[in-house]
Amino acid sequence: MPGKADAVPHPRVPMAVWQIALGAALLTTWQQLVNAGKLDKFFFSRPTDIAARVMEWFRTGSIWPHLGVTIEEATLAFTLGAASGVLLGFGLARAPRLDALLDPYIRLMNALPRVVLAPIFLLWFGLGIWSKVALGVTVVFFIVFFNTHQGVREVDPVIVNNVRMLGASDWQLVRHVFIPSALTWVFSSLHISIGFAMIAVVVSEYLGASRGVGYLISQAEGTFDTTGVFAGMAVLSVVVLLVGWGVTHLERWLLRWKV
Amino acid sequence: MEDLHLDVAAGAFVSVVGPSGCGKSTVLNLAAGLIEPSEGSVEVFGEPLRGLNRRAAYMFQQDALLPWETVLGNVTLGLRIRGIGAQQADQQAGEWIRRMGLADFADAYPAQLSGGMRKRVAVAQSWIVNPDILLMDEPFSALDVHTRLRMENELLDLWTASPKTVLFVTHDLEEALALSDEVVLLSAGPASRVVNRYAVDLPRPRALIDIRADPRFGELSREIWAQLREEVLTSYARKS
Repeated sequence: MPGKADAVPHPRVPMAVWQIALGAALLTTWQQLVNAGKLDKFFFSRPTDIAARVMEWFRTGSIWPHLGVTIEEATLAFTLGAASGVLLGFGLARAPRLDALLDPYIRLMNALPRVVLAPIFLLWFGLGIWSKVALGVTVVFFIVFFNTHQGVREVDPVIVNNVRMLGASDWQLVRHVFIPSALTWVFSSLHISIGFAMIAVVVSEYLGASRGVGYLISQAEGTFDTTGVFAGMAVLSVVVLLVGWGVTHLERWLLRWKV
Repeated sequence: MEDLHLDVAAGAFVSVVGPSGCGKSTVLNLAAGLIEPSEGSVEVFGEPLRGLNRRAAYMFQQDALLPWETVLGNVTLGLRIRGIGAQQADQQAGEWIRRMGLADFADAYPAQLSGGMRKRVAVAQSWIVNPDILLMDEPFSALDVHTRLRMENELLDLWTASPKTVLFVTHDLEEALALSDEVVLLSAGPASRVVNRYAVDLPRPRALIDIRADPRFGELSREIWAQLREEVLTSYARKS
């Protein structure tokens, strides 16, 4: 939109420069404090050591299997959770009596802190990827379920009447009005649901796995390898940032009609 | 409302005016079949109405376009619902979009358009299915005066080119007079009824921009207003 970008006057130094400067200052301070012996290297590691570790992981390629499995689990968790959330959210929003019957149970399940499910899923699904996917699904499902539910119920009645007057059958009404409206809500919750899928699988890997970034962090922790813990965290943060950046663009395209 | 009797001649442009809350929109919703009368019946071309009125199109007061469809998608919607192929639907819609002066905006979304443009899309959306009856609920009330005059002109042009029965609800007596063959005055709610019906014997085609200066327009306006005024005052008295 014209005009919008001009709302903030162009500063002489771009904000990105300041942002990088702040990060560099924090890292340098950290490095100096450790070098001067003010911070214990054993507990705090050093930015240069962490960077060297990350580089080594990528140079030898040892990080890829872990990163790959974490992304695979998160993708599966998101896909399965979103699909079941859309289906059930849609079905219940169109069947008010069943909706009312199940409502307290759905709330009850959603109120449960999901982390406590991780050990039980480990027992049920083993150390492989499915225990991680299962935990991710329980998180994503509820976000998408509530959004779809809302999306179907909050359709503007004027739009519904308009499309009915244009001759739509019940199914055509679902196809042209209810599904697009529900998807709007699902799309606008993409950031949260994908982010949570990531968190859930990493937590689950941390608690028991044979591969994955969460596993890498827990292994490093088990050998008091602080540098390894920080390096794992750094890789994870960058991946989540990149995914978030991709989601922002996807969302902008999917919801382009909102202007 | 109770004891409301209203018949509309085929091909006529009839406006319904009355104080707010008198049930003007209810009349349209009954005619559309969106609601059913608790007593009595609705007949369309001599046949009792069951379910939705399939011979009518409805233009709502609020924005009723699908926000996730482009202008083209919105205009073709009625055709696609009727199972007309995409190519033919696009072609027909293209003509309507050109006629409405929106050729450059076929791929725009409603949120990118001005209020007047959205109304023109709504006109194309309801007229493209070629309904026998057009129900309009204060369709132009949200527009500024000049855009409104333009839309009224376009509506009259369309109606002259292919006469349909129009039931036009408005709170604006002058708008009703300028457009219609007949003005129906409803009494103040809740138990509203038809107070009077006035034939508008102004010659057609009408130049809307000058019509308010016509002496006959003034006479009719004063005559109807004298009664409408009573109803408006009653409506105030009941509300306070």
